[in-house]
Amino acid sequence: MTNDPILELRQVRKVFPEQGRQEAVVALDGLDLILNAGEFVAIVGASGSGKSTLVDLVAGFTQPTSGTVTVKGKPVRAPGPDRVVVFQDHAVFPWYTALDNVAYGLRRQGMRRRRARERAREALCQVGLQDFAHAYPAALSGGMRQRVALARALVLRPDILLLDEPFASLDAVMRSRLQDELTGLWRQFGWTVLFVTHILTEAVYLADRVVVLDRPPSGLRAIERIGLPRPRNRLDARLAEQTEELRARMGGSLDTFNGETQAGQRQRQEERYYA
Amino acid sequence: MSPAGKKENRSRLIGYSLGAWIFGIGLWQAVAWTVTAARGVPFPTPWECVTVVWEMAHGTVFLEYTIYHHTLVSLARWAEGFGIGLATGLAYALLAGGWVPVRRVTMPTVEVLQVIPGLAWIPVAILLFGLNQTATVAIIALTTFPALAIAGVMGVRSVDSHYVRAGRMCGAGPCALLATVFLPGALPHLLSGLRIALGAAWRVLVAAEMIVGSGDGLGYAIIQSRWTMDYASAFACIAIIAALGLGMERVLLLPLERRTVEHWGMSHDQ
Repeated sequence: MTNDPILELRQVRKVFPEQGRQEAVVALDGLDLILNAGEFVAIVGASGSGKSTLVDLVAGFTQPTSGTVTVKGKPVRAPGPDRVVVFQDHAVFPWYTALDNVAYGLRRQGMRRRRARERAREALCQVGLQDFAHAYPAALSGGMRQRVALARALVLRPDILLLDEPFASLDAVMRSRLQDELTGLWRQFGWTVLFVTHILTEAVYLADRVVVLDRPPSGLRAIERIGLPRPRNRLDARLAEQTEELRARMGGSLDTFNGETQAGQRQRQEERYYA
Repeated sequence: MSPAGKKENRSRLIGYSLGAWIFGIGLWQAVAWTVTAARGVPFPTPWECVTVVWEMAHGTVFLEYTIYHHTLVSLARWAEGFGIGLATGLAYALLAGGWVPVRRVTMPTVEVLQVIPGLAWIPVAILLFGLNQTATVAIIALTTFPALAIAGVMGVRSVDSHYVRAGRMCGAGPCALLATVFLPGALPHLLSGLRIALGAAWRVLVAAEMIVGSGDGLGYAIIQSRWTMDYASAFACIAIIAALGLGMERVLLLPLERRTVEHWGMSHDQ
């Protein structure tokens, strides 16, 4: 891992203007964040904390109201294959086979069909889907579809891989398997990863650094370095320790952090279930 | 499914389609008998029609041409008009679906076009093109276009924004997005529009041929048979029109549907 900053957000503010009866929403307010090359950073936050907005800004789907988002020193203006997103779902095109989904980005870069399919096949092997190259997404399970999305992202060899709650719609077993596969691939290829989740345990287990976001005006609540060696063990007591420490630092518990008790309880249950 | 279950389904299928035939033909027969008895005019029965179709199939000259000529001419007009309506409707849908100002400005007019009955186009088409083939084709195209355009715009707008984002981040430009995201994404709606347009175009073709007087074609044949009191032939032509209309849906649409949206898990009932 090098220490060159690859992604820099400076005083980023994003306001969604009022629409009809809906008032204007401040999603991010004066956020500063720097990601180093090769780093795995997790963003945790409740809904409304602006974590998905952050992904959209880095991906280039939207522009900040004020402040700057730069990748390798250049401001982000539009989406591009150097910053690829793995979405929660609706990620892969239902009208293409797994292979053509993965080859899609390469074809758009002007690569010849044959070569693109070759590369796509390699990528499918890396996510363990070599036998499903010609299956349509409708015939695949949720976990397999997310693997296709992952393969589609990694085949483009992006500078930054953005994951927006990629495992949120998967069951517990599939979720932990894909978590481990993701960290495996990350260790192998050394991408820079920005991983968004609402589950603190998942963030602590996966990331080098955990960034805790809250609704504006609170904004950035904490950036915590997780110094645990890899590969990590889910049952490692230090993991639970760090999670609890972080939770405590965020004002006692996630309940207050969430702003509503019920949501906090649900989240805790979810964490116990998924971790 | 077990082979036994499949077999049972098959026999049930045969039973139902047999029932459907008996119902349809039986109703026709009943009407024919009733009309003949009550009004004293010979109403062609299904059997008479079958014999007429049989004779026609052997190449009897009927209104100066064989039935094959009439049918092919009608099909060719249909294909031309439908093709033009399909191409323009699709192009419009992609343009208006992707570009809001175009949609907001032009959609109301297209919606007005859709509610105009096909026959009402006849005077317009005659004014535009005169009493000829072009007028017939124009009427068909004018009927096809709005059905496809409206379904297409709805389809394009229904495409999940995640697919669009995925396409953009993979480096797809506007043209590539249209071809690889919006078009396949809009296909479920487009197929519904296609189904409506297919039937409407076929129906209006026959009507147009009746009035724009082309000298051949199935619609022309029906109206001419009426003048010569050859009702059995008119009924035979109607039967051919109905069979072709149904056949086109089965031959063109169902396979397309099966190979695309059903395969992709995108059909409406899923």
